[in-house]
Amino acid sequence: MTPPTDGTRRRSPLLALREVSKNFGAVEALVGIDLEVYSHEVVALVGDNGAGKSTLAKVVAGVLTPDAGQVEIEGRPVTIHSPSAANALGVASVFQDLAVCENLDVTANVFLGQEIRGRAGMLRDGQMEVDTRRLLEHLTVRIPSVRTPLRSLSAGQRQAVAIARTLIGEPRIVVLDEPTAALSVAQTAEVLTHIERLREMGLGVILISHNLNDVRAVSDRIEVMRHGRNNGSFPASASHESILAAITGAA
Amino acid sequence: MAGSQSSLREANRARVADAVKRHGGLTQVELAGATGLSAATVSAIVKDLVAAEIAEVRSTVRSGRRAQLVTLAHRVGLVAGVVVGYRHLRVALADVSHEVLAEQILPLPADHRSDTSLDRVALLVVDLVERVGADLGELLGIGVGLPAPVNPATGMVGLRGVLRGWDSVQIAQVLEKRLARPVFVDNDANLGALAESTLGAGRELRDLLYVNVSQGVGAGLVVNGRVHRGADGTAGEIGHVQVDPAGRICACGSRGCLETVVGGPALLEPLYASYGHLTLRDVVRLTKDDDPGCREIVADAGATVGGVVAALATGLGPQRVVVGGDLAETGEVFLAPLREALRRRTVLSRPGGPDVVPAALGLRAELQGAIALALESTDLFERPDSTDDEGAGR
Repeated sequence: MTPPTDGTRRRSPLLALREVSKNFGAVEALVGIDLEVYSHEVVALVGDNGAGKSTLAKVVAGVLTPDAGQVEIEGRPVTIHSPSAANALGVASVFQDLAVCENLDVTANVFLGQEIRGRAGMLRDGQMEVDTRRLLEHLTVRIPSVRTPLRSLSAGQRQAVAIARTLIGEPRIVVLDEPTAALSVAQTAEVLTHIERLREMGLGVILISHNLNDVRAVSDRIEVMRHGRNNGSFPASASHESILAAITGAA
Repeated sequence: MAGSQSSLREANRARVADAVKRHGGLTQVELAGATGLSAATVSAIVKDLVAAEIAEVRSTVRSGRRAQLVTLAHRVGLVAGVVVGYRHLRVALADVSHEVLAEQILPLPADHRSDTSLDRVALLVVDLVERVGADLGELLGIGVGLPAPVNPATGMVGLRGVLRGWDSVQIAQVLEKRLARPVFVDNDANLGALAESTLGAGRELRDLLYVNVSQGVGAGLVVNGRVHRGADGTAGEIGHVQVDPAGRICACGSRGCLETVVGGPALLEPLYASYGHLTLRDVVRLTKDDDPGCREIVADAGATVGGVVAALATGLGPQRVVVGGDLAETGEVFLAPLREALRRRTVLSRPGGPDVVPAALGLRAELQGAIALALESTDLFERPDSTDDEGAGR
């Protein structure tokens, strides 16, 4: 993992969405959404159920293609057809269901679908274990052994494995959908610390969450969505009340 | 790998002990995975460590199977240290020799609420106790540090407004109700002073001034070997000394307090136009990377803090000024202008005047202080002096 060395000075955004819209029949999931994410920045997307947060995440991750609007990565207009296209463009995502394999160990999960192979096409287990261990250490993840099967890890540790997996392709942007949902306080503490690490590594992070406490703890900027539209942009220091007002439409 | 059989064994022992320390508690199977050693080697080393009273083994259940949980020895009991900061909550569990067994940091939102945060403190303490395989009954006490003066008579924040939402909260009572263990609360800078004077940069000194410059600014005074809190706990509140008579109104209600000039938000504001949103840790990192703008901000803050510290040091006559907190992590960029401000005062620049050094315990000074407070306040057991010396010698 080589963290970018270009500091935090204002430059063009890593990722920009311009006037992005997405309809499902009569349902307007996204209506003219604008979003910018810079490096060294955690941008939180908050909003009620059905506000369009996850749809937006799926557009960025290449799961959905927008009906209208433009996606730019590092200033260049791009079309993200598929999740693998998103990966190639430096966008990695962790969705709510994590999509980890319970029966495989930590290393196998981290390298799932992107295994390191030797010349004869053989898996290089040793190399992958070493890389996994280094990756987890880098994120300050406390998992005793990379050979532990996922089913015997806690929910917080699984989330950490899912986050570590996104880092394999050396992405610039990481999308995390509800990473602290259903975690204990100690596990939440770990995941929030990982998010701080991702930011320190110079990545742009899109954090989707319902928990304003968690969001305000680690975000640089909070973008409120309501009925598929932008409904306000707040600095992390903004009060709980003003953000709640924008979420509920009271303001 | 070169080396004799015994040095290899020694290295493996250290590896096992390190792994146990990092995770709080591990089963023997997990230890084999964490260290890459064979199960037989781990088992032999654990036996060694138990015989040497470094580790303890107890039965536990992992994934439905019985297993042997290995933890560092804490037979006499445990204490918890908690430091509530403006943006982070730190909780640690230690044994009676101040050795930290498990630790957790939780990022907090700006202006976090006392009810939510104290709830999280309680849950984290319970989680850490479980992590080392102990139960709450083994916890002798809990030391809590707050970024505000604490009135020793009431146990509440002693200066209204400086920690929004925490005025008139009976912190110790709230936690004691949840955890049923004794809770001791103090100002964070006082805890830093306590830790630095017993374990850190002021071990052999009687009179010491500890200054913490992070999101907020505070000082702890050690007079004649003891932390001096003042009649109502506000001693050392240098964050609320006036440095700019035409300055902004502070959260405390006065104008131009030191904190309105060098507190976290005040430091970050002039950087916003050219850097975008930064955190204090970003500023520390960029300063270490020799970023000119951030160096400027940090150096100016050092000089401003130095002016106030010089006045306090003239009054107190300490042997040493110990500087902790985030900004001290930038080293001489911050310390040199601070020292220079002290040197300008003749009284302080005389031979034998106070020197200015970074905190030996670094960012952990307050947390170690919270642990020390809990240990100091607990007399449930006879603490042999040798334990004290051992802790101090580290």
